[in-house]
Amino acid sequence: MIRVENVTKDYTVGQTVVHALRGVSLSIEKGEFMSIAGPSGSGKTTLLNLIGCLDKATSGEIYIVGEAVSSKNKKELALLRRQRLGFVFQSFNLIPVLSAYENVSFALSLLGTNGSEIKERTHGILEEVGLKGMETRLPGELSGGQQQRVAVARALIKEPDLVLADEPTANLDSDTGREILDLMVDLNKKHGTTFVFSTHDQMVMDYARRLVRLHDGEITSDERRGS
Amino acid sequence: MKFLITLAWKNLSRYRRRTMITAAALAVGLLFFIFLDGWLQGAERESERNIIWYESGSAKVMTDEYLEDLKSMPLKYAIQDPAAVEQALEGAGVTTTRRTVFAGEIFYGEGSLFVKVVAVDPQTDEKIYRLSETVAEGRYLESGDQGVLLGEWLAQDLGIEVGEEITIRTRTRYGAFQTLDLIVVGVLNTPNPVVNKGTAFIPLDLADEALEMEGAVTELTLYFPEWRDPEAKIQSLRERLSVLPGITVESWKDLSRDFLMIAQAKSAGSSVLLILVFIIAAVGISNTMLMAVYERVREIGMMRAMGMKDGAIRVAFLFEAGGIGLIGAVIGVGLGVIANWLMVRWGIDMSTLMGHMDIGYRVAGVFRSAWHPQAIAGGFVFGVIAAMLFSIIPSSRALKMQITDCLRYE
Repeated sequence: MIRVENVTKDYTVGQTVVHALRGVSLSIEKGEFMSIAGPSGSGKTTLLNLIGCLDKATSGEIYIVGEAVSSKNKKELALLRRQRLGFVFQSFNLIPVLSAYENVSFALSLLGTNGSEIKERTHGILEEVGLKGMETRLPGELSGGQQQRVAVARALIKEPDLVLADEPTANLDSDTGREILDLMVDLNKKHGTTFVFSTHDQMVMDYARRLVRLHDGEITSDERRGS
Repeated sequence: MKFLITLAWKNLSRYRRRTMITAAALAVGLLFFIFLDGWLQGAERESERNIIWYESGSAKVMTDEYLEDLKSMPLKYAIQDPAAVEQALEGAGVTTTRRTVFAGEIFYGEGSLFVKVVAVDPQTDEKIYRLSETVAEGRYLESGDQGVLLGEWLAQDLGIEVGEEITIRTRTRYGAFQTLDLIVVGVLNTPNPVVNKGTAFIPLDLADEALEMEGAVTELTLYFPEWRDPEAKIQSLRERLSVLPGITVESWKDLSRDFLMIAQAKSAGSSVLLILVFIIAAVGISNTMLMAVYERVREIGMMRAMGMKDGAIRVAFLFEAGGIGLIGAVIGVGLGVIANWLMVRWGIDMSTLMGHMDIGYRVAGVFRSAWHPQAIAGGFVFGVIAAMLFSIIPSSRALKMQITDCLRYE
């Protein structure tokens, strides 16, 4: 479903060129629950950003459901992200003035879904992530774990091909982190949604059925585990 | 679209105090605009009316030579046969009255003062002018009077009271010196400072005899209802008068160019002031929007990551700024309308402040505003649109950032 072919990414910091990724290749199949792990500066977030079409590779190509992304313009990439990708961020990135319901339904509004369907699906996904009865609460009125559940619901409501989660448990305590991971595992099994995480949290790595390790911008191991 | 409006509205209420302070800046700007514009409009309209009622009527018929040398008011260039002019204008839809205007020097006590002397026909002058309604002391002129009416400020400057005698020295139509010993029969307090300040009125028959006019007059004042836009009427009157060589007609606008120029200059000056007021409001709104955008760079990054188009994000900020503009405009227009209503209803008495000062407008005493709906509506629309425009630069700056930089932004 996702193919990353010999991708490099260079950043220029002052006079210095930093090689964040050095010829990374991998493919991700539908329904995978995969973690990209590595120490800080290993290039995991960079790789996640490139797969999420948030950034452009210096060289190489990424295919998302058969579509090469390097040739796409800004608008086409926005459309691709809107239709096919979901994001869960480390610091949740919810819109503070919108309720849990509005934060989640926002993703469907972007797709132009009609009002009654938005209502039905938003209530459904919020119930699924365990937030029934909290629809009207603002992010500030929710705990960190609950906010991340809203973020997961927001990512999943549009039934994307792929959910990218950048350090999704980094701002949560371990119990809450575990709850979120359990939730994601459930949703992965139930909907067959592909999840790709970046993390340096051992607990997240333990949950992953596939663990790709990065070091200095290169894949050092790609380990598949049984579910 | 509904989502963008909801988001904008909720973001406005997120920082209620900031929203209200910014909206207040715009509201104050609009309040000043409406107040000042209404005041200028009022002064201008009242001036126009006071020119028509007390100074020049709708138009004046004169000889070409008299018009060319209008400041000197030369009697030798009077209209020889005013009846012929009246005949030519019959059926033209105008009211006429005869006047003779000349320069004179008033002697009273040990002092003297150069004034404009206007000889009026007490029977017909009232059909056009409203001098008789403004007699503050004494009485209005009558034919056969050996009397004079003085503007109130002029009487005060000379220290003359009703019943006292003055002497006016002038020259006859043939250039000979003539002195007129006249009793002050009344004092006029018109709302036109030009009349109050330097004009004396005498009966036309007295002037005819004393100045050897032999039935000639320097002008025929005309009144017609279309005076606000007199050009077409003047054109048709000129055609009628073309049978009388050397006779011309000038509209009140042409005769009061000094006032129109001053009014225009003041309007331009006021526009500069208004622009300054709006710049202050613009700085406030830009600053607020700049803060709003930079506080929400990560939110912007998230929305872009989720596939929201840059244009839609820009529209969200446009709505938000438009919301500030709308609140400011509603408050500003509301307060402006109240202030204007007070000024239309009661006005401000400037007589103490201004004394006998002539500021160009033909208004004395109470300055009243007028309603100017176009300016009020224009101010409202401008306030909202300007507020929206001021959000473009800050939001565009944030949208120029890479999505990944937005998401990392602290």
